[in-house]
Amino acid sequence: MSNRSQTLRPLGSWLEHHLPKVVLAPSFIAVLVFVYGFIGWTAWVSLTRSKLLPKYEIHGTIQYERLFAAPRWDVAMNNLFIFGGLFIVISMILGLILAILLDQNIRTEGAIRTIYLYPMALSMIVTGTAWKWILNPGLGIEATVRGWGFETFSFNWLVDPDMAIYTIVIAAIWQSSGFVMALFLAGLRSVDTEIIRAAQVDGIPTWRVYTAIIIPSMAPIFLSAFIVLSHLAVKSFDLVIALTGGGPGFASDLPATYMYAMAFSRGDIGQAASSAMVMMGVVFTIVVPYLYSELRAKND
Amino acid sequence: MARAVTPRRKLINTLVAWAIGLLIFFPILWIIVLSFKSEGDAIRTPIKVLTSAWTLDSYAVVQERSDYFKHFSNSVILAVGSTLLGVIVAVPAAWSMAFVPSDRTRGILMWMLSTKMLPAVGVLYPIYLLFIQLGILDTRIGLVMVLMLINLPIIVWMLYTYFREIPGEILEAARMDGASLREEVMYVLTPMAVPGIASTVLLNVILAWNEAFWTLNLTAAKAAPLTAFIASYSSPEGLFYAKLSAASVMAIAPILIMGWFSQKQLVRGLTFGAVK
Repeated sequence: MSNRSQTLRPLGSWLEHHLPKVVLAPSFIAVLVFVYGFIGWTAWVSLTRSKLLPKYEIHGTIQYERLFAAPRWDVAMNNLFIFGGLFIVISMILGLILAILLDQNIRTEGAIRTIYLYPMALSMIVTGTAWKWILNPGLGIEATVRGWGFETFSFNWLVDPDMAIYTIVIAAIWQSSGFVMALFLAGLRSVDTEIIRAAQVDGIPTWRVYTAIIIPSMAPIFLSAFIVLSHLAVKSFDLVIALTGGGPGFASDLPATYMYAMAFSRGDIGQAASSAMVMMGVVFTIVVPYLYSELRAKND
Repeated sequence: MARAVTPRRKLINTLVAWAIGLLIFFPILWIIVLSFKSEGDAIRTPIKVLTSAWTLDSYAVVQERSDYFKHFSNSVILAVGSTLLGVIVAVPAAWSMAFVPSDRTRGILMWMLSTKMLPAVGVLYPIYLLFIQLGILDTRIGLVMVLMLINLPIIVWMLYTYFREIPGEILEAARMDGASLREEVMYVLTPMAVPGIASTVLLNVILAWNEAFWTLNLTAAKAAPLTAFIASYSSPEGLFYAKLSAASVMAIAPILIMGWFSQKQLVRGLTFGAVK
């Protein structure tokens, strides 16, 4: 070591030795209190009879019983599974196709990549304006196709209670495909080029190279993409607010908008808290095993 | 990968990629088109929308009726304020984890990042109540704090991935030459970290700029940024597409332009450092 440390005063050397921990502390404490402190509060209130104002007397699982008996919550959870499933699967497929396309040594790749990522960089509250127009039966796709002479063509998902959730799927896929593409593209680029060249020298067709060598070696990236997309799905909020507002009625409610409605327009804090806890549970069951395996893998 | 492509094939692939790019860009383009139309023309069929007269009326009306620049400056203050504050808190933490790692560093990092995955609704209501008690509901200072805190894990993570790319040997060499910790940070580390900090700032400004959940729930009129302004605009005036589009264009233009001129940082930032 340098002779500098010997000349430092005791406080200075204590500081120097513990500095890494001292400077880490503010971030650590901020995250700890901000996230876990408030989650603890929500968990507590979910066990009370809070209505318009929070009460702190524990009354057992009454809020959860009410929640699971509520038809509106049922719709929201059903929608979450429809939305989440379609959104994750289709975004991954489209993202992979786009990534393979961009991997074909095309020109102006930088600009194309940026355009593909724009939907992710813009607020859905704002781009929702365009989607409302496009999906509006009187204006967008329906009116256009009818204008071509197909008078009976109908595309009214936005105002159809059974189909409204699928319009949210469409907009969400539009928003995320470019993002998934970027993740997959990074994965494609990290595959060992020697193996691929060897396969090409052996005369193996390109599509076989992709399906047999490249894609299987990208398994960790599929997992990361799945984790990111699935937690995005559970948290989806502004998408619904921007497109349907949860309507018609509450046909396109997702858990986050259910919680929002309970907390701010229904004045039912107990319901809001218990629904938030259930959402938290869903995210935990997806994320915790992933984090655990990730940590184990890195420590081995 | 399969990069031995003939020139003709390459051209076709490029054209296909651009065609898809146009398709993806279409909704954004359409908002821009609608914003330059009169209210009546904005609700006609697409061909008639395109061929009708162009006008700046919608922009004038939006500015006149609802103080657009107030919301714009709110957006700027929230995005810049929360980002600067976050970077100040996160740089030391990321430095510590990147250059003085311990057994627990990876665990702490993953734990911080995991909190970002939790749904914000879980902490919304207690924070709402806290804001009422502190009297900071619908104030910019309150929102700056919240936006800083929700994005802190991402800032720490991003800075960490950038700092990790700085070779530790250079810092060691500086130390060998007798540089103090302060000099080491000031003259060696900081200049090398500037690109990383810049893209972290860009990402965080975008995230804070787009933030809708917290701003919708914790603001009313005074501190509302553009996202909250547009959400409020679309409910009572949902059918006024031209004005809504004009307001929307003014909200996304800064991001579109900033993103175009810093493509590399945008792509790397939005993928949280995955794409180099």
